[in-house]
Amino acid sequence: MKAFTALAATELRLLFRDPASLFFMMAFPLMLLVLKRGDSGAVPGYVAMVVAIGGMGALPGIVASYRERKVLKRLAVTPISPVLLLGAQLVAQVAAGLAGSVLLVVAAIALFGAKAPGNVLLLAVAFLLCSVMVCSLGFVIAAVVRNTRGASLIGMLVMFPMIFLAGAAVPRTALPESLRRIGDFLPLTQGVEALGDAWSGTAAAFPLLILTGIIVAATAVAAALFRWE
Amino acid sequence: MDAIEVTDLRKTYGDTHAVDGVTFTVRTGETFGIVGHNGAGKTTTVECLIGLKRPDAGTVRVLGEDPARRRRALAQRIGAQLQESSLPERIKVAEALRMFATFYREAADWRQVMERWSLRPLARKAFGDLSGGQKQRLMLALALVGDPEVVVLDELTTGLDPIARRETWRLVDDLKAVGTTVVLVSHYFDETEALCDRVAVFARGRVVAMGTPDDIIARTGTASLEEAYFALEGADR
Repeated sequence: MKAFTALAATELRLLFRDPASLFFMMAFPLMLLVLKRGDSGAVPGYVAMVVAIGGMGALPGIVASYRERKVLKRLAVTPISPVLLLGAQLVAQVAAGLAGSVLLVVAAIALFGAKAPGNVLLLAVAFLLCSVMVCSLGFVIAAVVRNTRGASLIGMLVMFPMIFLAGAAVPRTALPESLRRIGDFLPLTQGVEALGDAWSGTAAAFPLLILTGIIVAATAVAAALFRWE
Repeated sequence: MDAIEVTDLRKTYGDTHAVDGVTFTVRTGETFGIVGHNGAGKTTTVECLIGLKRPDAGTVRVLGEDPARRRRALAQRIGAQLQESSLPERIKVAEALRMFATFYREAADWRQVMERWSLRPLARKAFGDLSGGQKQRLMLALALVGDPEVVVLDELTTGLDPIARRETWRLVDDLKAVGTTVVLVSHYFDETEALCDRVAVFARGRVVAMGTPDDIIARTGTASLEEAYFALEGADR
């Protein structure tokens, strides 16, 4: 436990030391909020965007680089399992996503007078599931794509269309019908739904169940395909 | 007592006999060299010692235990510096040492390790900003932060400039002085000759000579371990 805490704290510090992560998870969503003149309806989507940027935009490259640069191998000759480093990366991504999201929500309420979330507990559950879900997809990418550059690139290529088509960066109502259809099949759409429902206080179990299912399936796939070297 | 016993170790990748019947023992407290060209089976042997690879045949005992079955338990007592392994680019020197110390039940005081290996002035430097020699010094310190009984060093000085190499040699001498058992894997003959009490000369997955560097040199009637190696390698072909 001591080792895991140390790993997770270090991973979080490393994320905050990365200017790109810092910008895209903290500053960029705030900029969008200002451009939207504080429209609170956009906030749940932006929260989903923040975690997707971390879990799919950043995580695959980080994990692939740990493998390529033999960081995982180095850990394999210590008494701890290298799996702990992957767990620590997950915790760090969730924590960084939480920091970015809290910043965003507080800014929306304090600066733009947005209504506070309807169901905070449910919002927390939706956040956790959405955040872990995008990370599990990130681990699948890191498992399938061997090298660092490839994993980063594929992560970006999956993440960018998804944040637009899932209604995270722009509302799905603004999309043409055909593109909206695609969104129906994207995992992140369920995250946006779950966060939106919790924010407005209309609890719906369905998106949460789907998110849980995706986490289980993606983790199984990543665990089956992951190469340590 | 012997710290390491390897008997008739074999490991095959496809058609290649990477390690083809290797036997040697390392005595407690000695510095033992595994020397030979790239592809001689050195790294595979070492990976079997630290439990990263499972032998196809033969037995390996480190501190009386089988590394393939008891990797985690042995990892508490073995320190390893692996070929080309590294750390996250942005991790700082002190941070890495402090973090690695949490992995061990009975770790050394990481601040003392940092002091002893002259890493204190680099404490707040990121791994990615270190020079090759500084990185190697940190990886060596990390191998020692668990206060190990056996230390395995694979290609310790590859890629270092001559000054950094000599500096690293001095550090290995320090280790010998405190009685740590050291396995030093190298393709530098001068390094092995200078640092090791005994040496196993590897060629094509086999041990072609073993003994003190002076013995091997005398037996082959050559002037250096490197010349001895070529004499042995030629005779073995």
